[in-house]
Amino acid sequence: MKKSLLIFAALVAASTASAQKLVIKGSDTLGAKLVPTLAEEYKAKHSNVSFEIAAEGSTTGIAAIIDGTAQIGMSSRRAKTTEVSAAQAKGVSMKPTIVAHDGIAIIVNANNPVGALTPRQVEQIFAGDITDWSAVGGAAGKISIYTRNTSSGTYSDFKDLAMKKRDYASSSQKMAGNEQITSEVGKNPSGIGYVGLAYVHDAGIKVALIDGILPNKETVLSKKYPYARPTFYYTNGEPTGEAAKFIEFTLSDEGQKIAEKIGFVSVR
Amino acid sequence: MSLKKSLWLALLGGVCLTAGSALAQDSGPLIDLLVKKGIVNDQEAEDLRVALVKDFAANTSAGKLNLSSSLVEFKLSGDLRMRYESNAQVPELATGAAPLVNETSRQRFRFRFNGDVILQKGWNAGFALETGQSNDSANQTFTSAADDYGVYVARAYVGWSPNTNWSFVLGKQKNPFYTTEMRWDADISPQGVSELYKYFIGAKDTFELRAMQHAMEDRAEATPGPAGRDTWMFEQQAVYTHWFAPGNLSSLIVAAGYSAYNQSTITAFVAPNSAPYVGSVRAQNYGTLAGEVNLANVNGAGTAFKIYWDSSYNFTGATRAYKVYNLNPAVFSKGSTAWLAGIGYSYGTGKVQGDYSAKLDYREVGVTAVDPNTNDSDWGFSKTNQKGLKLALTYNVTDFVNFNVTYFDTKIMQEKMTFALGNLNRSHELLVDLVVKF
Repeated sequence: MKKSLLIFAALVAASTASAQKLVIKGSDTLGAKLVPTLAEEYKAKHSNVSFEIAAEGSTTGIAAIIDGTAQIGMSSRRAKTTEVSAAQAKGVSMKPTIVAHDGIAIIVNANNPVGALTPRQVEQIFAGDITDWSAVGGAAGKISIYTRNTSSGTYSDFKDLAMKKRDYASSSQKMAGNEQITSEVGKNPSGIGYVGLAYVHDAGIKVALIDGILPNKETVLSKKYPYARPTFYYTNGEPTGEAAKFIEFTLSDEGQKIAEKIGFVSVR
Repeated sequence: MSLKKSLWLALLGGVCLTAGSALAQDSGPLIDLLVKKGIVNDQEAEDLRVALVKDFAANTSAGKLNLSSSLVEFKLSGDLRMRYESNAQVPELATGAAPLVNETSRQRFRFRFNGDVILQKGWNAGFALETGQSNDSANQTFTSAADDYGVYVARAYVGWSPNTNWSFVLGKQKNPFYTTEMRWDADISPQGVSELYKYFIGAKDTFELRAMQHAMEDRAEATPGPAGRDTWMFEQQAVYTHWFAPGNLSSLIVAAGYSAYNQSTITAFVAPNSAPYVGSVRAQNYGTLAGEVNLANVNGAGTAFKIYWDSSYNFTGATRAYKVYNLNPAVFSKGSTAWLAGIGYSYGTGKVQGDYSAKLDYREVGVTAVDPNTNDSDWGFSKTNQKGLKLALTYNVTDFVNFNVTYFDTKIMQEKMTFALGNLNRSHELLVDLVVKF
């Protein structure tokens, strides 16, 4: 009996010692589909690794790296100067790794006759200068704007890329994630919003051409599409241990194929 | 590494080194260009961005600031003025009283610090801190070496301009009216609500309607009658600005206005103020007309000649003289009118070393003709029933240091007045200033 207990204790100790938990927090764009899929594939090959993934916005991912509450911070935007500064003050060195490229697609209801916009019109719509679809060639009707919430990297990226850093229209409705935006725009014939490429195939929506260009692999990589952007993993310095292995997997052929399958543009 | 790639990276390094770390965060377009030209790949570009941001954050003052994203512009400014002041006041005395001359000579200073922010969506806000609690002077006299001196909030305002035609300001703010010092001391920042409507005529001409509800004093409502009613001044003005020709800096400004109070009262004298508050706002209904003609480049490029004027008439001046000042209306009813006429000559805009300007005006201010709570404290010590000259000279020692000399000389208009507001037989003052602006 005594011998059995010792063996059991040794097994528990061994399993505890080898079990690895990878905490990943941040971007909904990355964390809603891509990273969970990558994690599942990774777990299939590394059974001793478990994941805790929280996709609550890029700001939370960068904050988690600064606070040391995650090994990997997902972000669809670059860290701000103030965030890098705050990290430095805590002895944290922000290290970005591009994991995939993305294009912020402008989506409208599938029944909306408007299928193309200019960058200027996009800016005016989201800033509230244009409030009726008739001003951009559509049927008369008040435009309903759906944006991400303020902790979202896409929220701030879109302001930088599409709105000359102007503020969103006060009438805009802030959604928690990409899927909520596609859902609302899909239900609302007067709706307009923006989502990452991984969400453009959701039901009830269509992607608007911007200056005649659709976001796809070619236009995103060449940056011909005006709202193209990289997406990141942030780590504290060069990644180590299981985090380094997971990032390596993400950037591997297999990882990048998963990224492309989900809708992102491969870094390769 | 190819020569071309080396050159590009050397260029980036050169930009960062020569322009300073403060510009590191502005290197984004250059990094994007390096990526576009294939000099660095996307990942190298991101590492470069972070390295530049870290350098910016660690090694520059600007990198340590965390300003609101709603901020479009944050301007800090101010000035420090050292002053020598010499003056004399000879009061009008009752018949038989011994002659009296009050002479003062003192060294003073004034410090002002302003913060003005422009926010998104047409909003703005600001504050001003200054030495001196008096609303019409921020001066502090160098008294005992054992003393330190206080700093007070001189302005605190929020503004909103929904479009180019309308703007509104709430709080203690810069004077929104076109005026001369005859009616409004330049140091006074009125408090309340102001509204401006600007209508554009042609290329540059404008017609403006300006109004302000000026909260003069908060009264204890428990007191019955006007004495318990908050004191408000209501002023409104129409201002027309005409430019004589496109590209020509010569202009004409004409401003007509009207101001009055509600039926209330006001504290008799606010101790630090030069302006003697009069204990009543009764019978103040002023019609005003002011303006100027500016003739640019009259004596070569950069020179300007200016004629300016101001006037005020109290429609209820006789009533005020009798009811408030207890004066014989048959004698003092003539004191309802005030006027000012002046000329000025300048070289430059007052912002560049070597610029200078000179202004000379003559005024006659009847005893009830202007609001004694707001008039110029640097002419006749804010008293009315005065006539006289004021001369102001300014020279730019550098772009940011001014040397100023101001002198005024006044005499009584209607004699035998011993009422405090108009009892100055004659007065003069010399002010010599050194002003450093930042």
